[in-house]
Amino acid sequence: MKFTTITKWELKETLKSRKFLTIFILQISVLFLMLFVFNAFITNIESQEGISITPSLSGFASLSVDDEGRLFSKYINPELITVTHASFDDSMKNLNSGKTMAVVLVPADSLDKIRNIDTIEVKLYLDQADPKRSVVRDEVNNTAKILAITLSNSWIDSLTPQNSTPAVVTEENTGESLPMQIVTKVMLAILLFLPLFLFGNMIIDSVVGEKERKTGEILMAMPINSSDIIIGKSMAVVGVIALQVAIWMGILLITGFEIPNPLLVYLLVIITAVPVIGVTVIIAAYSKNYKEAGIGLTFGYVAIVGILMIPPLIYITNKSLISNISPLTMVIRLFSGDVIPAWHFLIPLGFVIMVSAITYWISIKLFQRDDVVFGPRPGLIRLILEFGGLKRRGG
Amino acid sequence: MVDKIKYPQYKFETILSRNQRRHLEVDDNLMIEIESLSKSFGKIKALDNLNLDIKKGELLGIIGPNGAGKTTAIRITCCILKPDSGDVLVDGMSIHQEQIKIKSMIGYLPEEPNLYERFKARDLLSYFAELYGVPKGEIDSRIEELLELVNMSHRAEDRINTFSKGLRQRVGIARALVHDPQILIFDEPTMGLDPATAHNIREFIRELKGDKTIILCTHYMDEADSLCDRVAILNQGRIMDMGTPQDLKSKIRGDLILNIKVENPCWDVVKGDVVKAIEGFSTVEDVELVDNQYTISLKSKNDIKDIINVFEGNILSVNTKEPTLEDVFINSFKQ
Repeated sequence: MKFTTITKWELKETLKSRKFLTIFILQISVLFLMLFVFNAFITNIESQEGISITPSLSGFASLSVDDEGRLFSKYINPELITVTHASFDDSMKNLNSGKTMAVVLVPADSLDKIRNIDTIEVKLYLDQADPKRSVVRDEVNNTAKILAITLSNSWIDSLTPQNSTPAVVTEENTGESLPMQIVTKVMLAILLFLPLFLFGNMIIDSVVGEKERKTGEILMAMPINSSDIIIGKSMAVVGVIALQVAIWMGILLITGFEIPNPLLVYLLVIITAVPVIGVTVIIAAYSKNYKEAGIGLTFGYVAIVGILMIPPLIYITNKSLISNISPLTMVIRLFSGDVIPAWHFLIPLGFVIMVSAITYWISIKLFQRDDVVFGPRPGLIRLILEFGGLKRRGG
Repeated sequence: MVDKIKYPQYKFETILSRNQRRHLEVDDNLMIEIESLSKSFGKIKALDNLNLDIKKGELLGIIGPNGAGKTTAIRITCCILKPDSGDVLVDGMSIHQEQIKIKSMIGYLPEEPNLYERFKARDLLSYFAELYGVPKGEIDSRIEELLELVNMSHRAEDRINTFSKGLRQRVGIARALVHDPQILIFDEPTMGLDPATAHNIREFIRELKGDKTIILCTHYMDEADSLCDRVAILNQGRIMDMGTPQDLKSKIRGDLILNIKVENPCWDVVKGDVVKAIEGFSTVEDVELVDNQYTISLKSKNDIKDIINVFEGNILSVNTKEPTLEDVFINSFKQ
């Protein structure tokens, strides 16, 4: 049980470090900021206007229109083209001086022509030097088409008079829409799992640092097993994660987010930290230096995010039992108010225990090998073959 | 007539494992037995069938050039590295079977003290005391005692990253002693230290001598000469020579070396006669002439006066010295 000594001292020295505390507080602050963005997002999505995720093209092009009856100009898309009304002469002056990209001239007798079902001849003057002229041309052509269709419909309606008052339909919303459910349940669950990925550098520093600072030599001369060293260091990081997740959940609860069964959710997040750290320790135990560990960590975390995220997506689409292997699925189900049979929790628990056992076993085996710690380090393929019993060490 | 009943004859023989036989044969006076130890790093052979015994309470010096295998031998003894073949028995226990017990018997000070920079000196000693399993009630008093011993009580609350190399080495020694081990292994403990600090550390090792079994790896011959009971000269993973410093020095011909630097170049003409004349003295063991300096190995100083007379006053300088370990070291490499 020497690992508890290592955990205790690692935690003690980490929490005493000003550098660590600054990073810890910064992380909480960033998470807190994300909460604001998340809140703003939900507020917008719940508003009548909704939110647009496409960038605004407002003011992309300009058009000067001589249209006394405002017959044409009211159908032009104002979000794309800025319309100014002016006499034809003034409009042409604007075009020549570059103040506008195009001029549209709608004949003054256009209303009479409509009444007589005559063709209206709308003229478009374009600045050929402007690369955006095609956008204006398309928009004017579209507007002409819309105008024609509207006038035709209005003429047809006038020939067959009928009650055209539309029926009034009142919409009463119950429950949350699917997009809202995804936002509130899934996003909130993801936010809770975020701290698991913020402390990879800590375990890297703890394990790779032993090699780089050569303190590992002394540690390996201690009457303790490699397993004590690996588990002791890992548990210290799990402890720090547990602290941050607790603070983070506290903030979420205080700011009004609903977390059903918070203790169970907390435990699910923390047990997930164990294999996540296990994967990180493998990377750290094998890496020669921080640089290598950093690269390995990027790949490792992409894989972990995939393993955590894909099962919930499967669950959302077909609610299959296997999708429960990810603790994230269980948290999302808890947030959704699902009635979850107790044995369903054994699925993620079993998965977490299995992955933890494998990752820590590999890490300990790696740390026991003097060639991995002191060099010359064997290649990855050779190591895999040796672990698989397909090659003998040194053979 | 009753037939003689023939009972099957069983020959009872105790089949002992290699290790058990070792235990029976073990010399109680031996603390460390290095047996046929080999270790390679890739294509480089660091240790090549190394054999070495260290007695209880002995201070054994290991000297050798860089890459001789000193650190590898030490790391294997401390169970940090695994040998390719061979074994090390520490107090009769094999490094292949009793790693934890062996580790708890050894206090190891590597070449670089490699301490945790962010720890305070006292906290660092506390941490290692706990890892070594020192009883909780004894940790504080033990640390106080050690800090005093290495003269670091005044810096106990300072962080390691504020210490000079000498101070770190002192904390390193305290760390190696924190569990009061039976064996101490020092790898270049005075390397890179100023003369005063190096002297202090040597004195400290001298104080520990006799009470503990000590292995001292060093590049400094005078250090090995003055501290060690026995010295092993290691090269290319093998022992080239071993013995007490006196024994090793006596292997160099003569108990006394007389160096005579001559002034007059005409002596070159008659040097053959001079060499012959010197070799005629009964106390002279060997004469060597390099440039204008004669190095004469003598059994005793009886003939020194007469030898000097041979040079008829054409002498620039005369000095005598006893052979040193450095001479032994250089001589073994010449051979």
